[in-house]
Amino acid sequence: MQRTVLIIEDEKLIIVSTQMVLEAAGFRVESATNGEDGIKQARMQAPDLILLDVMMPGIDGWETLTRLKRDRDTSDVPVVVFTAREHARGHQKSAEMGAADYFRKPFEPDELIELVEKHVG
Amino acid sequence: MTIITSIMDGVVSVDRGGNVTLMNPVAEDLLETKSFVAIGRSLKSMRGQSELLAALVEDYARIAEQREISRTVEIHDAEQDLLYIRCRTNVVYDCRGRLAGAMTLLRDVTAEFKTDQLKNQYLSIVAHELRTPLTGIKTFATMMGKGTLGELNGRQEHVCESIREQAVRLEHQIDKLINLGNLESEDYGQDREVVAMGEFLAGILLPFEQLARDRGVSLSLKSEADGVALFADRSDLRRACQALIENAVKFVHDDGCVRITVVPEEEGLRFCVSDDGIGVDPRYQRRIFEQFFQVEDPLTRHHGGAGLGLFVARSVIEAHGSRIEVSSQLGHGADFSFMLPIYRPEHSGLATETDND
Repeated sequence: MQRTVLIIEDEKLIIVSTQMVLEAAGFRVESATNGEDGIKQARMQAPDLILLDVMMPGIDGWETLTRLKRDRDTSDVPVVVFTAREHARGHQKSAEMGAADYFRKPFEPDELIELVEKHVG
Repeated sequence: MTIITSIMDGVVSVDRGGNVTLMNPVAEDLLETKSFVAIGRSLKSMRGQSELLAALVEDYARIAEQREISRTVEIHDAEQDLLYIRCRTNVVYDCRGRLAGAMTLLRDVTAEFKTDQLKNQYLSIVAHELRTPLTGIKTFATMMGKGTLGELNGRQEHVCESIREQAVRLEHQIDKLINLGNLESEDYGQDREVVAMGEFLAGILLPFEQLARDRGVSLSLKSEADGVALFADRSDLRRACQALIENAVKFVHDDGCVRITVVPEEEGLRFCVSDDGIGVDPRYQRRIFEQFFQVEDPLTRHHGGAGLGLFVARSVIEAHGSRIEVSSQLGHGADFSFMLPIYRPEHSGLATETDND
């Protein structure tokens, strides 16, 4: 069965490029452009992995992560947090909040595929 | 006396017992007190601008040992606006060389402070705005180059690779901007490990070789540090060393000479970058390490840069418990050097402790 990755990210360009990379690697990619929509989609689609941006208008990535982890329907889905490169403490914070991993933007396509495969297995 | 009265900075002086002997009008305004009230009394017992008074009382208590104290104090003025006051206190000696008291210069640096903050915010925003489209460009070029969107001929592949390379290059430039702009010194030196110098120094000149060749600059590294290790934050230390090298390559004349020497000495490992360039005016030898500072000489204007390289180098080296020394004469080149303790495995217990901090 095709595995699904949900990306929650406000920048359309990042969504499109991530989609291109992951689809070429054989994943199905769904997307949401803000946290609230992302949570709704996560509950409906039960994705295998969520890629989550931190800096978003509305509820930010950290708040989104908290809500995903609190909700029984989504708490088991591994979440990978996208952090900006300059946030040195991003890694620690994402681990503390229950994220499976973190990823720094901007990324290399191959690194992204490797990371997704690691968590989707 | 007239000079002190009309000077733009606030001036306060105290005697050995900490009692005020002089206070000019600017200092009266900043401290919100009057000299006729203050003179002969200790600042401790005085009412006025409490944050600033407290800072001065503290500084006068320590000044005999430290001889010079410089700091920036945040205060709230009558309208509750935030002001930044730089206080620079020096000891004063009498004609026989005995400690006579201390004198403080107070300067309102709010404008400079705010400009720095604005510059930082601006850099952050610019970097973020530039990075997003770059991520797109890079990814699309990579995917296209791989043939994901249809097969390419050799030339098309080559062009895709070239788009990608240029995007990566731009990305590095942006990283440089933001890394340099955002960090305060306490953020440096966090990730310490044992750094073998032989390996560390191997590629250190690489980023400057092209530029040096283009300008006919001879760039050399002489290291006696093979087999020597430091306990340091590898990437920060690299950044500091490269900032010093970049600075030298930038300010050396065409066909000039930049020499890097790394020598173990008794007290530690000395890293020194020497050039025979335009040198640093003694007036600026401290200020060149400030954030965004550039020597405002029409002759040097064309050197460009954000004025951050040396600031970062200083912050990194200070975070490692040392400092950068400059020795230079205007027109006769400059030596920038620092010394860090050599890592000795028998002290590894201590090193682990530091690591866990």
